[in-house]
Amino acid sequence: MSILRKVFSDFHVSNFYRITGSKLLPVRVGYSTTSSTSSQPKDDLPAENLTNPYQKEKRRCVLCKYNVKVDYKNARLLSQFLSPFTGKVYERNITGLCKAKQRSVEREIIKSQNAGYLAVMLKKVEYIRDPKLCDPNRPVRPHRY
Amino acid sequence: MPFYELSLTLRTLSRPELIASLRRSAETILQQGGVLRQFVSLGTNPLPFKMKAHNIWHREGTYFVMKFDAPSSAIENLNDEFKRDIDLIRSHVVRCEEPVQHECTLEEEMKPPAYRKDVQQLIEEGQKVVRHKFKQNTPGFDFYPFQK
Repeated sequence: MSILRKVFSDFHVSNFYRITGSKLLPVRVGYSTTSSTSSQPKDDLPAENLTNPYQKEKRRCVLCKYNVKVDYKNARLLSQFLSPFTGKVYERNITGLCKAKQRSVEREIIKSQNAGYLAVMLKKVEYIRDPKLCDPNRPVRPHRY
Repeated sequence: MPFYELSLTLRTLSRPELIASLRRSAETILQQGGVLRQFVSLGTNPLPFKMKAHNIWHREGTYFVMKFDAPSSAIENLNDEFKRDIDLIRSHVVRCEEPVQHECTLEEEMKPPAYRKDVQQLIEEGQKVVRHKFKQNTPGFDFYPFQK
Protein backbone atom coordinates (compact mmCIF):
# COMPACT_ATOMS: atom_id res chain seq x y z
CA MET A 1 0.00 0.00 0.00
CA SER A 2 2.80 2.35 0.88
CA ILE A 3 4.46 1.60 -2.50
CA LEU A 4 1.22 2.45 -4.31
CA ARG A 5 0.93 5.72 -2.39
CA LYS A 6 4.51 6.60 -3.30
CA VAL A 7 3.78 5.91 -6.99
CA PHE A 8 0.68 8.13 -6.90
CA SER A 9 2.54 10.94 -5.18
CA ASP A 10 5.30 10.82 -7.82
CA PHE A 11 2.85 10.85 -10.73
CA HIS A 12 2.75 14.55 -11.69
CA VAL A 13 -0.49 16.08 -12.84
CA SER A 14 1.28 17.76 -15.77
CA ASN A 15 0.88 14.57 -17.78
CA PHE A 16 -2.83 15.30 -18.13
CA TYR A 17 -2.12 18.66 -19.78
CA ARG A 18 0.64 17.69 -22.17
CA ILE A 19 -1.71 17.15 -25.13
CA THR A 20 -3.94 20.20 -24.72
CA GLY A 21 -0.90 22.40 -24.09
CA SER A 22 -2.74 24.72 -21.72
CA LYS A 23 -1.14 26.46 -18.79
CA LEU A 24 -0.42 24.27 -15.79
CA LEU A 25 -2.80 24.97 -12.95
CA PRO A 26 -2.67 23.95 -9.32
CA VAL A 27 -5.24 21.18 -9.45
CA ARG A 28 -6.37 19.87 -6.16
CA VAL A 29 -6.79 16.22 -6.90
CA GLY A 30 -8.41 14.71 -3.91
CA TYR A 31 -5.63 12.72 -2.30
CA SER A 32 -3.84 13.49 0.94
CA THR A 33 -1.02 11.80 2.78
CA THR A 34 -2.99 11.66 6.05
CA SER A 35 -5.97 9.48 5.02
CA SER A 36 -5.01 5.94 4.25
CA THR A 37 -8.11 4.03 5.41
CA SER A 38 -10.33 4.71 2.27
CA SER A 39 -10.82 1.80 -0.12
CA GLN A 40 -11.28 3.95 -3.30
CA PRO A 41 -8.15 5.80 -4.54
CA LYS A 42 -8.91 9.50 -4.14
CA ASP A 43 -7.28 10.75 -7.35
CA ASP A 44 -10.25 9.33 -9.27
CA LEU A 45 -12.35 12.33 -8.24
CA PRO A 46 -13.01 15.05 -10.86
CA ALA A 47 -10.44 17.83 -10.87
CA GLU A 48 -11.47 21.23 -9.57
CA ASN A 49 -10.58 24.75 -10.72
CA LEU A 50 -10.11 23.91 -14.39
CA THR A 51 -10.46 26.77 -16.86
CA ASN A 52 -12.05 26.40 -20.23
CA PRO A 53 -9.22 25.63 -22.71
CA TYR A 54 -11.43 26.80 -25.58
CA GLN A 55 -12.12 30.17 -24.06
CA LYS A 56 -11.37 32.95 -26.52
CA GLU A 57 -9.11 35.84 -25.63
CA LYS A 58 -10.87 38.90 -24.30
CA ARG A 59 -11.42 41.46 -27.01
CA ARG A 60 -9.83 44.83 -26.32
CA CYS A 61 -10.17 48.17 -28.03
CA VAL A 62 -7.35 49.52 -30.21
CA LEU A 63 -5.98 51.95 -27.64
CA CYS A 64 -6.08 49.52 -24.72
CA LYS A 65 -4.52 46.71 -26.74
CA TYR A 66 -1.41 48.65 -27.67
CA ASN A 67 -1.43 50.67 -24.46
CA VAL A 68 -1.52 53.99 -26.32
CA LYS A 69 -1.44 57.12 -24.21
CA VAL A 70 -3.94 59.66 -25.50
CA ASP A 71 -2.38 63.13 -25.31
CA TYR A 72 -3.84 66.49 -26.30
CA LYS A 73 -0.55 67.40 -28.02
CA ASN A 74 -0.82 64.40 -30.32
CA ALA A 75 -3.25 65.95 -32.79
CA ARG A 76 -2.50 63.34 -35.42
CA LEU A 77 -3.71 60.45 -33.27
CA LEU A 78 -6.80 62.34 -32.18
CA SER A 79 -7.73 63.28 -35.74
CA GLN A 80 -8.00 59.57 -36.58
CA PHE A 81 -11.20 59.62 -34.52
CA LEU A 82 -12.69 62.61 -36.35
CA SER A 83 -14.60 62.85 -39.58
CA PRO A 84 -12.42 64.21 -42.42
CA PHE A 85 -15.40 66.10 -43.81
CA THR A 86 -17.05 67.73 -40.82
CA GLY A 87 -14.33 67.53 -38.16
CA LYS A 88 -16.83 65.99 -35.72
CA VAL A 89 -15.86 63.25 -33.27
CA TYR A 90 -17.15 59.79 -34.13
CA GLU A 91 -19.40 58.03 -31.66
CA ARG A 92 -18.43 54.87 -29.81
CA ASN A 93 -20.27 52.63 -32.28
CA ILE A 94 -17.94 53.76 -35.08
CA THR A 95 -14.63 54.09 -33.22
CA GLY A 96 -15.01 50.77 -31.40
CA LEU A 97 -13.35 52.03 -28.20
CA CYS A 98 -14.31 51.15 -24.67
CA LYS A 99 -16.24 53.73 -22.64
CA ALA A 100 -13.26 55.02 -20.67
CA LYS A 101 -11.02 55.49 -23.71
CA GLN A 102 -13.78 57.12 -25.74
CA ARG A 103 -14.35 59.63 -22.97
CA SER A 104 -10.65 60.39 -22.64
CA VAL A 105 -10.35 60.83 -26.44
CA GLU A 106 -13.28 63.26 -26.44
CA ARG A 107 -11.81 65.28 -23.59
CA GLU A 108 -8.35 65.39 -25.14
CA ILE A 109 -9.83 66.55 -28.46
CA ILE A 110 -11.47 69.50 -26.71
CA LYS A 111 -8.22 70.32 -24.88
CA SER A 112 -6.28 70.05 -28.11
CA GLN A 113 -8.63 72.39 -29.96
CA ASN A 114 -8.49 74.93 -27.16
CA ALA A 115 -4.70 74.82 -26.99
CA GLY A 116 -4.42 75.28 -30.76
CA TYR A 117 -3.08 71.87 -31.86
CA LEU A 118 -6.09 70.36 -33.56
CA ALA A 119 -8.26 71.82 -36.31
CA VAL A 120 -11.90 72.34 -35.45
CA MET A 121 -13.94 72.41 -38.63
CA LEU A 122 -12.09 69.84 -40.69
CA LYS A 123 -9.22 67.37 -40.78
CA LYS A 124 -5.74 68.56 -41.76
CA VAL A 125 -4.75 67.65 -45.33
CA GLU A 126 -1.56 65.92 -44.16
CA TYR A 127 -3.58 63.60 -41.92
CA ILE A 128 -6.09 62.39 -44.50
CA ARG A 129 -3.88 59.57 -45.79
CA ASP A 130 -3.28 58.17 -42.28
CA PRO A 131 -4.34 54.56 -41.57
CA LYS A 132 -8.04 54.41 -40.83
CA LEU A 133 -8.96 53.32 -37.34
CA CYS A 134 -12.68 53.81 -37.82
CA ASP A 135 -14.88 53.60 -40.89
CA PRO A 136 -18.24 55.38 -40.57
CA ASN A 137 -19.71 53.18 -43.32
CA ARG A 138 -18.97 50.00 -41.38
CA PRO A 139 -19.65 50.72 -37.72
CA VAL A 140 -18.68 48.24 -35.03
CA ARG A 141 -22.15 48.37 -33.52
CA PRO A 142 -25.50 49.69 -34.71
CA HIS A 143 -26.38 53.27 -33.92
CA ARG A 144 -27.75 53.98 -30.48
CA TYR A 145 -31.06 55.11 -31.84
CA MET B 1 2.27 70.89 -5.14
CA PRO B 2 0.37 69.44 -8.09
CA PHE B 3 2.10 68.92 -11.40
CA TYR B 4 0.97 71.15 -14.27
CA GLU B 5 1.76 71.43 -17.93
CA LEU B 6 1.64 74.68 -19.87
CA SER B 7 1.37 74.56 -23.63
CA LEU B 8 2.30 77.90 -25.19
CA THR B 9 1.75 79.00 -28.73
CA LEU B 10 4.05 81.94 -29.46
CA ARG B 11 4.00 84.10 -32.53
CA THR B 12 6.87 83.98 -35.03
CA LEU B 13 9.78 85.82 -33.46
CA SER B 14 13.50 86.03 -34.02
CA ARG B 15 15.60 83.80 -31.79
CA PRO B 16 16.66 86.36 -29.16
CA GLU B 17 13.08 87.67 -28.94
CA LEU B 18 11.75 84.12 -28.58
CA ILE B 19 14.20 83.44 -25.77
CA ALA B 20 13.20 86.67 -24.02
CA SER B 21 9.50 85.79 -24.32
CA LEU B 22 10.02 82.30 -22.91
CA ARG B 23 12.13 83.69 -20.11
CA ARG B 24 9.34 86.11 -19.26
CA SER B 25 6.74 83.31 -19.10
CA ALA B 26 9.03 81.16 -16.98
CA GLU B 27 9.66 84.02 -14.60
CA THR B 28 5.92 84.60 -14.09
CA ILE B 29 5.62 80.96 -13.04
CA LEU B 30 8.51 81.37 -10.59
CA GLN B 31 7.00 84.59 -9.23
CA GLN B 32 3.77 82.77 -8.45
CA GLY B 33 5.72 80.24 -6.42
CA GLY B 34 6.19 77.54 -9.02
CA VAL B 35 9.07 75.19 -9.69
CA LEU B 36 9.99 74.54 -13.33
CA ARG B 37 10.72 70.99 -14.38
CA GLN B 38 11.14 70.81 -18.11
CA PHE B 39 10.93 72.81 -21.33
CA VAL B 40 9.95 71.02 -24.51
CA SER B 41 9.98 72.58 -27.96
CA LEU B 42 7.45 71.31 -30.48
CA GLY B 43 8.75 73.45 -33.31
CA THR B 44 7.46 76.22 -35.54
CA ASN B 45 4.49 74.98 -37.53
CA PRO B 46 1.59 76.45 -39.44
CA LEU B 47 -1.37 76.71 -37.10
CA PRO B 48 -4.39 74.41 -37.67
CA PHE B 49 -6.64 77.45 -38.04
CA LYS B 50 -6.01 81.17 -38.05
CA MET B 51 -6.03 82.65 -34.57
CA LYS B 52 -6.47 86.20 -33.46
CA ALA B 53 -4.40 87.51 -30.58
CA HIS B 54 -4.08 91.16 -29.64
CA ASN B 55 -5.69 92.37 -32.87
CA ILE B 56 -3.38 90.36 -35.16
CA TRP B 57 -4.32 87.27 -37.14
CA HIS B 58 -1.72 84.51 -36.88
CA ARG B 59 -1.27 81.58 -39.25
CA GLU B 60 2.07 80.27 -37.98
CA GLY B 61 3.32 79.71 -34.48
CA THR B 62 5.99 78.24 -32.25
CA TYR B 63 4.83 75.55 -29.84
CA PHE B 64 6.46 75.15 -26.45
CA VAL B 65 5.53 73.01 -23.47
CA MET B 66 6.61 73.86 -19.92
CA LYS B 67 6.22 71.39 -17.13
CA PHE B 68 6.12 72.77 -13.64
CA ASP B 69 4.84 72.36 -10.11
CA ALA B 70 2.85 75.21 -8.62
CA PRO B 71 0.32 75.87 -5.89
CA SER B 72 -3.21 75.52 -7.24
CA SER B 73 -4.07 79.08 -6.22
CA ALA B 74 -1.41 80.42 -8.59
CA ILE B 75 -3.02 79.13 -11.78
CA GLU B 76 -5.65 81.83 -11.94
CA ASN B 77 -2.97 84.53 -11.70
CA LEU B 78 -0.84 82.77 -14.29
CA ASN B 79 -3.67 82.71 -16.81
CA ASP B 80 -4.26 86.38 -16.18
CA GLU B 81 -0.60 87.19 -16.85
CA PHE B 82 -0.44 85.11 -20.01
CA LYS B 83 -3.53 86.78 -21.44
CA ARG B 84 -1.72 90.10 -21.34
CA ASP B 85 1.48 88.91 -22.98
CA ILE B 86 1.51 90.11 -26.62
CA ASP B 87 3.85 87.37 -27.83
CA LEU B 88 1.55 84.56 -26.78
CA ILE B 89 -1.18 83.47 -29.15
CA ARG B 90 -2.57 80.77 -26.89
CA SER B 91 -1.73 79.45 -23.46
CA HIS B 92 -3.27 76.36 -21.95
CA VAL B 93 -2.52 75.06 -18.47
CA VAL B 94 -3.35 71.40 -17.89
CA ARG B 95 -3.16 69.42 -14.71
CA CYS B 96 -1.12 66.25 -15.16
CA GLU B 97 -2.18 63.21 -13.22
CA GLU B 98 -1.17 59.60 -13.28
CA PRO B 99 -3.66 57.85 -15.55
CA VAL B 100 -5.86 55.40 -13.69
CA GLN B 101 -5.12 51.83 -14.79
CA HIS B 102 -8.27 50.03 -15.77
CA GLU B 103 -9.28 46.96 -17.71
CA CYS B 104 -10.69 47.35 -21.20
CA THR B 105 -14.44 46.82 -20.89
CA LEU B 106 -15.03 46.37 -24.62
CA GLU B 107 -15.93 42.67 -24.27
CA GLU B 108 -18.62 43.53 -21.74
CA GLU B 109 -20.01 46.34 -23.94
CA MET B 110 -20.13 44.21 -27.08
CA LYS B 111 -22.46 41.65 -25.52
CA PRO B 112 -26.12 41.72 -26.53
CA PRO B 113 -28.08 44.13 -24.30
CA ALA B 114 -29.70 41.43 -22.19
CA TYR B 115 -26.29 40.15 -21.06
CA ARG B 116 -24.77 43.52 -20.19
CA LYS B 117 -24.45 44.33 -16.50
CA ASP B 118 -25.51 47.97 -16.77
CA VAL B 119 -28.64 47.02 -18.74
CA GLN B 120 -29.48 44.32 -16.18
CA GLN B 121 -29.16 46.91 -13.42
CA LEU B 122 -31.53 49.22 -15.29
CA ILE B 123 -34.07 46.43 -15.63
CA GLU B 124 -33.80 45.70 -11.91
CA GLU B 125 -34.35 49.34 -11.07
CA GLY B 126 -37.40 49.45 -13.31
CA GLN B 127 -38.91 46.47 -11.61
CA LYS B 128 -38.53 48.01 -8.17
CA VAL B 129 -41.91 49.10 -6.86
CA VAL B 130 -41.63 52.50 -5.26
CA ARG B 131 -44.18 52.86 -2.57
CA HIS B 132 -44.22 56.61 -2.20
CA LYS B 133 -47.57 57.51 -0.88
CA PHE B 134 -48.08 61.05 0.24
CA LYS B 135 -49.54 61.01 3.71
CA GLN B 136 -51.59 64.09 4.17
CA ASN B 137 -51.97 65.05 7.78
CA THR B 138 -55.79 65.03 7.73
CA PRO B 139 -58.05 64.35 10.66
CA GLY B 140 -60.60 62.71 8.38
CA PHE B 141 -63.34 65.32 7.93
CA ASP B 142 -65.93 65.33 5.16
CA PHE B 143 -65.25 68.88 4.11
CA TYR B 144 -61.96 70.83 3.90
CA PRO B 145 -62.26 74.54 3.25
CA PHE B 146 -59.63 76.55 1.26
CA GLN B 147 -58.46 73.54 -0.77
CA LYS B 148 -58.73 72.94 -4.53
